[in-house]
Amino acid sequence: MDHRIFFVAGDLIANLLVGALVGLVSAIFVGVGWNMLLAMILAMMLGMLIGGLTFFPLSLLFGAMEVMLPAMLTGMISGMVVGMRGTMHSMTPYEGAAIGGICGLVCILIIWVINSRLRGVKSHG
Amino acid sequence: MDKYTQKKWDKAAPHFDMMAGGGAEKRWKPFKETLFSNMEGNILFLALGTGLDIPTFPKGKNISAIDISPRMLELAQARIDEYDGSITAEVMDVHDLKYADRYFDQVFTSCTFCSVPNPIEGLKSLKRVLKPGGDLYMFEHTGSKYYPFKVMMDLMTQLSKRLGPDMNRTTVANVAAAGFEVLEVNNLFLDVVKTIKCRNPK
Repeated sequence: MDHRIFFVAGDLIANLLVGALVGLVSAIFVGVGWNMLLAMILAMMLGMLIGGLTFFPLSLLFGAMEVMLPAMLTGMISGMVVGMRGTMHSMTPYEGAAIGGICGLVCILIIWVINSRLRGVKSHG
Repeated sequence: MDKYTQKKWDKAAPHFDMMAGGGAEKRWKPFKETLFSNMEGNILFLALGTGLDIPTFPKGKNISAIDISPRMLELAQARIDEYDGSITAEVMDVHDLKYADRYFDQVFTSCTFCSVPNPIEGLKSLKRVLKPGGDLYMFEHTGSKYYPFKVMMDLMTQLSKRLGPDMNRTTVANVAAAGFEVLEVNNLFLDVVKTIKCRNPK
């Protein structure tokens, strides 16, 4: 992860926002009684689309690939989780946003962990 | 000259600083400064664009820079004028470099081979103008070999390539395929944003 506070805060805020937005939209979109697998797949795809589109304004402030990939992962996971819950329980958009936001924070933590494993010099000739 | 690519980047030029000069440039600046601190001798810088990289160059260097887009280089002129050293910028296609064989001591690229239409041929062209034993230093974003990032980047490339760069290039493999010796790959973000140090074998 980037240890500069601007980018740490930026990563957290960006993924919180994307997760909340995807959660809100998924909660509105998915209804109780839907086929769970279908709802998860549709909400996941919707989440990735929203994550991919919200990348553009967020990238102006916080970076390029460092914003795009976490945003798309957040969209995918938030959509899947809120979509799954939405088929089982009636959910307000605000509850969807809250769950999505939490998913976003978890996703960026996962990205930071993966990044700590992948970054650095990996090969010498 | 690849007119399609030239037209694409001419069209992108007026908005390029807004899209690429904000968060990405701030995020990458310290890594670029470290990479470009290796500049020595007769240097070719590939794809100068609007000159966003110029503030990260060490002072006092003599740099030949090219870009396929005349509009990009028009916008770069103010940064070229401000540089404390010498930058000669020309409109040129990497596939058709006008320099003599073995002319440069070093070649530098910055987010270039996401956009070169035929990357292996472009890299072979760089190899031609680089002296044997000379180094190629690259700051590039590439595709990822890990899921789900690989799928995401393949999907985004379907959109991004119409407006600018591809996001799923296999640049390290391309460098090796062009005949360079890969000395070091330093991942800066996942296996996507990286610096690559290569050598033109003697």
